[in-house]
Amino acid sequence: MQFGSFGGRIRSPQDAAAGVFLVAVAVIALWQGAGLAAGHLNQLGPGMLPRALAVLVGICGLALAVGSFFTAGKGLERWTLRGPVLILGAAVAFGLAVRPLGLAVAGPITMFLGAFASPETRWQESLVFSLVVTAFCVLLFKFMLGLPIPLAPWLLGY
Amino acid sequence: MELFDHLALGFATALSLQNLALCFAGVLVGTLIGVLPGIGPIATIAMLLPLTFKVDPTGALIMLAGIYYGAQYGGSTSAILVNIPGEATSVVTVLDGHQMAKQGRAGIALGIAAIGSFIAGTIATFIIAALGQPLTRMAMLFGPAEYFSLMVLGLAFAIVLARGSVLKAVGMIVLGLLLSTVGTDLETGEERLTFGLVDLSDGIDFAVMAMGLFGFAEILRNLENPESRDVVKSAIGRLLPSKADLKRSLGPILRGTGLGALLGILPGNGAVLGPFASYTLEKRIAKDPSRFGRGAIEGVAGPESANNAGAQTAFIPLLTLGIPPNAVMALMMGAMTIHGVIPGPQVMTKNPSLFWGMVASMWIGNLLLLIINLPLVGLWVRFLKIPYRLLFPAILIFCCIGIYSINNNPADVMFTAFFGLAGYILYKFDFEPAPLLLGFVLGKLLEEKFRQALVISRGSFVTFVERPLSAGLLIAALIILVIAVLPMMRKEREEVFQE
Repeated sequence: MQFGSFGGRIRSPQDAAAGVFLVAVAVIALWQGAGLAAGHLNQLGPGMLPRALAVLVGICGLALAVGSFFTAGKGLERWTLRGPVLILGAAVAFGLAVRPLGLAVAGPITMFLGAFASPETRWQESLVFSLVVTAFCVLLFKFMLGLPIPLAPWLLGY
Repeated sequence: MELFDHLALGFATALSLQNLALCFAGVLVGTLIGVLPGIGPIATIAMLLPLTFKVDPTGALIMLAGIYYGAQYGGSTSAILVNIPGEATSVVTVLDGHQMAKQGRAGIALGIAAIGSFIAGTIATFIIAALGQPLTRMAMLFGPAEYFSLMVLGLAFAIVLARGSVLKAVGMIVLGLLLSTVGTDLETGEERLTFGLVDLSDGIDFAVMAMGLFGFAEILRNLENPESRDVVKSAIGRLLPSKADLKRSLGPILRGTGLGALLGILPGNGAVLGPFASYTLEKRIAKDPSRFGRGAIEGVAGPESANNAGAQTAFIPLLTLGIPPNAVMALMMGAMTIHGVIPGPQVMTKNPSLFWGMVASMWIGNLLLLIINLPLVGLWVRFLKIPYRLLFPAILIFCCIGIYSINNNPADVMFTAFFGLAGYILYKFDFEPAPLLLGFVLGKLLEEKFRQALVISRGSFVTFVERPLSAGLLIAALIILVIAVLPMMRKEREEVFQE
């Protein structure tokens, strides 16, 4: 343990990256809130609180990043693309499809697309399962609970 | 006695046919989803929220509360039958519960968990009923300055009780506060940090954030760590514990209830800490501590009671003061708001049948849990065998339908996907999403009260320290934070979390 090894190596890569992440968020918030009036103490403006909080977030990030030079910690985790892209992509697909195509179409698309986030998925099984679960959801949410979610507007008009 | 009049009103409300059916449905569905591995209570509640949309507020809240402790109990079931905890609060149950199951005593472990939870729930219901009135009266005396200081104290607690790095917990809370400022400014009507998006002008929807950070991000996390599900193969065995088992468990149940009830009221990780504290205590006072970790029934009875007691007393700050103490309660608050009920002291005075009906339904819900879970264990075991490759697409579609249905707005689903990504990033950096969620909810209240207080005092900050109650709360917050940073305490804290 040696103090002042500033030019030295990062000893906790995870904390360093986490710190940089918080600083980046703070910078984005400061940039977005730049046009807002801060006001003064007697009459706080709309920009005062966001700015102060963004600065605090940034300070936390800096402290994490600086601390990562001094205390040993975890390394960076392995990142994967398959899960986030397919799962979140499937959710976005649902958002895009639910109004024009309705639950009857958006449901199977979302489930079938999302299913491939797992390497264990077999496509026949997952296709059948998507249709069954969607049918169940239609029964439950549309008919039993009467939620106003579109079913198949292109076919049924609702 | 006034207390009994209130409880009588509560039971009259909760025992109506409709509310009883809703409570039953909530407990059943909550357990069903909670049993599935990898779905915590927050995701469960968020996912099942649309089920309550067509019901009147009282019925909806009774059902939601039922879903909540159903999910809690379901988590314990999967902790005992499989080696993975369904949620954070049943982490400790895994230690001895799963060992018991391996020894062919799964039924007894489940039985004692249900009995312990029921006793804890009964006592906690009385604590809520007893504390409800005085706390509400106290809340009536609170001005904006006191509310502000109380929430600062709450955030201080959340920092101290957070798991892992203090710095990261602070970062998450402040980030939550920052996110709460997104949207139209209350006083000037100016848009803040909205990136010019119309859908953000009302601010970030709480349910959207919760579902993204917990529902979606949980799926992403589970996909990366292929689970080794170790569903118990041996017979479940008989469910009712023997007299010797009961005798051995009574002490742990009562001590666990006390610890859990106390910690559950505290903001932040309180409800999660109860089971840990109970386990540590039982191990420390046991005649033969080496039995723990090898299937000691005390190691199930104590933490499970603490878990349930804490889950219920966590409602106290929300129902009496209108301040959610943790992320689950924050979600309950969001659900209440959707149903047009603003949590706070006025609920009890203006809508007594809702307040006391909910309190009474907690006891009924616990009784129902006891009755329905014992015969349904076989069904849960079969549920546990559903492979994750089928489970997660089903969760995905339920989440999507749920989110869309809250505002009937497709953009909400997109924002949820965004928060799912954010949750994944936070997980990679080892940040806990729960303090962020708490900071987000308290942030809105904090800013409102902060500004109200300043308007009343004409801009003088002295108001926060001038008013004795407010000053006292702020001093308490300061003391707690100082203690948290002291090196000695930090070491001890790490040790506690190690266990």
